[in-house]
Amino acid sequence: MSARYRRGDSVRVAALENEGVLLHLGTRRYYTVSESALALLEYLAAPRTAQELEAFLLERYELTEEHAVTTVQTFLERCRKADVVFEEGA
Amino acid sequence: MVTTPNQSNLGIRCDDPAVETQLAAWVAGGRLHPPRAVTLDVRVVERPALHSREGQLFEQPGVEIRSGGRQGGVQISWRQAPAVAELSLGSSCATVLLSPAAVARLEECQNTFLTTVLIFLLRRAGWHHVHAATAIDPRGRGWLLAGNARAGKSTTTAWLASRGWSVGTDDMAFLAPGQRVAVQAYRGPIALRPEGQALLQCTGGAFLERRGKMGFWPEELGARWAQRVEPDLILFPSIGGERTEVERLGAGDALTRLVRWSAWVLLEPELAQEHLDLLTRLAAQAPAYRVTLGSDLFAHPERLEAPLG
Repeated sequence: MSARYRRGDSVRVAALENEGVLLHLGTRRYYTVSESALALLEYLAAPRTAQELEAFLLERYELTEEHAVTTVQTFLERCRKADVVFEEGA
Repeated sequence: MVTTPNQSNLGIRCDDPAVETQLAAWVAGGRLHPPRAVTLDVRVVERPALHSREGQLFEQPGVEIRSGGRQGGVQISWRQAPAVAELSLGSSCATVLLSPAAVARLEECQNTFLTTVLIFLLRRAGWHHVHAATAIDPRGRGWLLAGNARAGKSTTTAWLASRGWSVGTDDMAFLAPGQRVAVQAYRGPIALRPEGQALLQCTGGAFLERRGKMGFWPEELGARWAQRVEPDLILFPSIGGERTEVERLGAGDALTRLVRWSAWVLLEPELAQEHLDLLTRLAAQAPAYRVTLGSDLFAHPERLEAPLG
């Protein structure tokens, strides 16, 4: 069974033009994020698998499946390292 | 207990009439009129103590703030003398306990600890603090200058005041929701260091002990006080060398910088999104610029104004 990921409760996001800002209220850090990362974070308000995130990107942006896979992988790695996204049950 | 009704929706309640009178005068002096009624409920007790000391600690000069505990809200302590405050979630009241030692230093207490309490109390009325100066130029455009204590906000505000602009505050402002985001100024003297005073050739003023500077009311500098400004321009100033430089920023960059100067957005999860949404609307509402203030500005004001259109 594929792992499911969810945005942390301490995360707040705001969108502006082609980018956005992410606040992490737990670590009191804030980040500038790209439009696609922001879209993924908003989608992660509910638990999703990596495959669902890839499909979400493919539907919204013009990119290859291979690119979608690596984008989601990198995104999840970075977000998990920053405690922005968690694996459910982990 | 005596209650002081306050036309501004910002009420003071205190069991010590002398303290209540002084605090009421302090609050009235700020000329803040929040949209919803909020109250500072102050009691003088021998040993002020917080119910709990949970959550993450956020330190400010002389003040400790805790947020993120199980019960939510914030707890604030003063380091200079025993004084604590608790602001619960969803409450429109700040419970403040002052020791006699804190009462003996009430003015200092107001300027540090109670100002912090006031900032968190006003959050509960929908107003969110930002470290910024405000002004209205002769064309009627609202200016917001956001930055820290060494960014040149006060000197610039005093300079604009001396040129007949309306000015609101040099430091303490509150974002307020509306069709457009407005900024409410806390009325206080503009605080100048000796260098700023010399540059502007200001004489007089009153010494501001907390800020270690000389204070000038906007009217003393030739300005009208602007209580409310709708920003049409956002500036992030810093003090540079000889030449004033202006650089346009993207809205995302402006938002990140506004978050920096409105740092309480990172506290109290229940209020954070509302606060962040206001900052986002503000960044979308007004073009933003990074400004390096040079010593040429006084002789060449057009070097600031011309690039802004």
